[in-house]
Amino acid sequence: MKKIIIGDHIVKSFGEGDEKRNVLDGVSVEINEGEFVAVMGPSGSGKSTLMFALSGTDDVNSGKIVFDSKDLSALGENELADIRRTKMGFVFQQPTMLKNLNILDNIILPSMRGNRKNAAKITEKARALMKRTGIAELEKRNITQVSGGQLQRAGICRALMSNPKVIFGDEPTGALNSKSAQEIMDIFSEINAEGTAVMLVTHDAKIAARTERIMFMRDGKIVGEMRLQKFSGTDIDDRMEIVTAKMREKGI
Amino acid sequence: MYFRIIRNDISKSKLITLTTMIFVAAAAMLVSLAVILVVNLSGAIDTLMTRAETPHFMQMHSGEMDTDRLTEFAEQNSNVDEFQVLEFLNMDGARIILGDNSLADNVQDNGFSFQSEKFDYLLDLDGNIINVSDGELYVPINYMRDNTTKVGDKAVISGKEFTVAGFLRDSQMNSTLSSSKRFLVSRNDYAEIKNLGSMEYLIEFRLKDLSALGAFETAYASAGLEANGPTITYPLFKTINAISDGMMIGVILLVSVLVVAIAFMCIRFTLLAKIEDDYREIGVMKAIGLRVSDIKKIYLAKYAAIAAAGCILGFALSFVFKGMLLENIRLYMGESDNSSFAVAFGIIGILLVFLAIIAYVSGVLRRFRKISAAEAIRFGTSQEKTAGANRFSLSGNRLFGTNIFLGIKDVLARKRLYATMLAVLVISAFIMIVPQNLYNTISSKSFINYMGIGNYDMRIDIQQTDNISEQAAEILKTMKSDSAISQYAVLTTKTFKAKTADGSEENIKIELGDHSIFPIEYSQGRAPAAEDEIALSALNADELSKKVGEVIPLVIQGKEKNLTVSGIYSDITNGGKTAKAVFTDNSANIMWFVICAELSDPSLVDEKTSEYGDRFVFAKVSDIDKFVAQTFGSTISSVKKASNAAIAVALMITVLVTLLFMKMLVAKDRYSIAVMKAFGFTNSDITAQYVSRSVFVLIVGIVLGTLLANTLGEMLAGAVISTFGASTFHFAVNPLSAYLLSPLMMIGSVLIATMIGTSGAGQIKIPEHIKE
Repeated sequence: MKKIIIGDHIVKSFGEGDEKRNVLDGVSVEINEGEFVAVMGPSGSGKSTLMFALSGTDDVNSGKIVFDSKDLSALGENELADIRRTKMGFVFQQPTMLKNLNILDNIILPSMRGNRKNAAKITEKARALMKRTGIAELEKRNITQVSGGQLQRAGICRALMSNPKVIFGDEPTGALNSKSAQEIMDIFSEINAEGTAVMLVTHDAKIAARTERIMFMRDGKIVGEMRLQKFSGTDIDDRMEIVTAKMREKGI
Repeated sequence: MYFRIIRNDISKSKLITLTTMIFVAAAAMLVSLAVILVVNLSGAIDTLMTRAETPHFMQMHSGEMDTDRLTEFAEQNSNVDEFQVLEFLNMDGARIILGDNSLADNVQDNGFSFQSEKFDYLLDLDGNIINVSDGELYVPINYMRDNTTKVGDKAVISGKEFTVAGFLRDSQMNSTLSSSKRFLVSRNDYAEIKNLGSMEYLIEFRLKDLSALGAFETAYASAGLEANGPTITYPLFKTINAISDGMMIGVILLVSVLVVAIAFMCIRFTLLAKIEDDYREIGVMKAIGLRVSDIKKIYLAKYAAIAAAGCILGFALSFVFKGMLLENIRLYMGESDNSSFAVAFGIIGILLVFLAIIAYVSGVLRRFRKISAAEAIRFGTSQEKTAGANRFSLSGNRLFGTNIFLGIKDVLARKRLYATMLAVLVISAFIMIVPQNLYNTISSKSFINYMGIGNYDMRIDIQQTDNISEQAAEILKTMKSDSAISQYAVLTTKTFKAKTADGSEENIKIELGDHSIFPIEYSQGRAPAAEDEIALSALNADELSKKVGEVIPLVIQGKEKNLTVSGIYSDITNGGKTAKAVFTDNSANIMWFVICAELSDPSLVDEKTSEYGDRFVFAKVSDIDKFVAQTFGSTISSVKKASNAAIAVALMITVLVTLLFMKMLVAKDRYSIAVMKAFGFTNSDITAQYVSRSVFVLIVGIVLGTLLANTLGEMLAGAVISTFGASTFHFAVNPLSAYLLSPLMMIGSVLIATMIGTSGAGQIKIPEHIKE
């Protein structure tokens, strides 16, 4: 299996002098193409920082990150932006959308950059994705006129617009009720089944239990890892039990 | 607590606080300066006119004098306090040599007098009445100002040598706008040069009761006394003395209004951004039961502190610059007796600026009332209305690139926020274009037509000689046979009596001749064409309260004749009170001839001017461009300076405000910027979006500013011009500079300011703003 992301001894620190603290303390990870991965850990463990580092969104103090065979540390701001736009998708806890634009415009925004000629095609694709995620009728709405779950679906549509190799999700269900959260996870599973790698950062065992591999983080280090069978859609309670047991074992 | 809040807040936004304070200081300084100047100017004029004992009524007269009749009139009129007739010996400029400079090219009517005995004294620079010894010459102050001569220079007047002993202030003729200038010599010297020039008399009265001046004027006119020349009264002397410095004060006031407006803009957008930042806190404060007035106080306190600091600084600065601006007033008019009040009035002016700022801040803070506590706590931001912008969607956009689209969309969605920047840009475009157009207009060749001067190349004035008609005929004979002269016109000015509405008679000077050869612009109606038609200058029409189509009864050769007003025109010549008609008249005394000529080759004008000047020594021959340049050359050059300064100021304001505004926008939009960067927009994409915003606002601003400049600006400039006696006024626009160069300069400044202002966007770290 080809590795889509390789992180090697990543160190990221905040603060200066005595207050200097390593948020990522020599972390090494590998993620395969089409893999469904979760990173778990208590708050402050460095899991979101790891995600920002692996996606080239934040710079690191040392270590090497290779994404799709490209060394991210060798790339400039613009090339990193290009990779984020064309090969990565992001879904955050809060719906990171622009207030001025309606739902449809928010979804097509990254794809429209320098791509005005293909506006019709892009819009068509966005509509198809909205239909698939069940928000087809919301395209003209303002982002303040829809629910959090609907916004998160729109966020996923936006992340899928570029047919990314990897989708990064930072607590994507953190602000949702459990029904909405499971619906969103259904969509992630579906996307993953089609071959897109998904990396989720979460502290929710029920979410992590739906992935195939879970990495546990504490104090900037990966302290353990576990693999699960592909989620069938029915055995969630059993999987959750295994995950929580492992979490207890790792002291998380 | 307030002190702590203010200190924290100011240290967080040093740049904008400093800028606001500078603008407040500038506004306070200008207002204080204007007030100090007004008080000093009026005081200095009063002092000068009191010490010099300026006449209350003065009639200039050339020709025969019947002194006995005048004395009798003065004795019989109960309002006359004192009466005298002074002599004013008009001398051709070429006969006056001061130091190394001859006044040959000077358009002023230079003349000589000896010191008066009763009133209308000529004063030295200390304000004392001058005592002249033989051989000494006192020179009008304006020749000191333009460095024509200095004390100790040798002066030669028609071959007689004098020493320049000093300079004099003349309460009548000090102003550059007054066409005559008096030199002072001793009685003995005067007697020696008396035959070398033409005599003019100044018939002067001091009245017991100045308020009855109107009745006295009527009495003088109806007594049929000597009146071959202009009549000037005390209030007019005062106005003439005040006008040039008065205009400077007007400009300062105008600029200070603009600066206050800009200070308001700075305050407005700082406050709006601050309210946006503190939205949740304001909601919380409201929720826990603080009154709106309590919350307002916290914000007001900061601006009260800034305004107070700015006002004090401005007041101090006004003292630094005061001396510089007072220099001219001091030179021409001397010290003012009430300069001590000036400071008190200056403080009042500054207090007004302070109160205006507090009132404005308080007005902006009114929106606190509209903030819903619940909404503020829930959303943390104001739910901005985006009405009108919704139809403009990215999916439907085929016209603009995505970055440009996002820029324009943002402006449309947040109109209120951008309105502030728009207002500043409109003002900038306005103050850039109006002075420029004004300069262009008054320096354009056709402008003199608005000023009562036709389009000719050479002008010959013949005045006050015994055989004036023969001299004019001699010149005309030469012109007829001169092939270089393509066209000429003779205009004869005579005095008539006009009957006013109340039945009294008033002197009116009428220029007779063919007015169709060198037409001027009429603000209403047209030139007189028939024998019974007359055109009036705007000032005359005003004074006689006549409109086009109305009838004026004139007394011609003892008979009354009704003339219809055919048109009204602007005029700056002869004090602005003139009239034009075409009827033939062989009666009244000719006051002067003006012969205007157009050359077949205008480049010959220098040659022809000197040729005619040498040949007809009794006439004053001037090149019309020189005539215009000397009449308003200084005005044109100061308008040019003002226009250049206005461009510099406008660009500075544009850069500064755009810079601050963009910095604030970037701070406000940190989150959106982080989102866009996370989704693959580069720093140059972000810059492109901000550039689109500012260029979009700028284009709207330039269009509005240009429209305003050509409407409101034209009206304002017209008001300034009308002080010279011109009534109608249209801008002559140089499209290249007004519609291309100026916008380009503004676009350049806005681009640079936007780039610098948004450079902070590149430093925004995505995780810091998106991380949960």
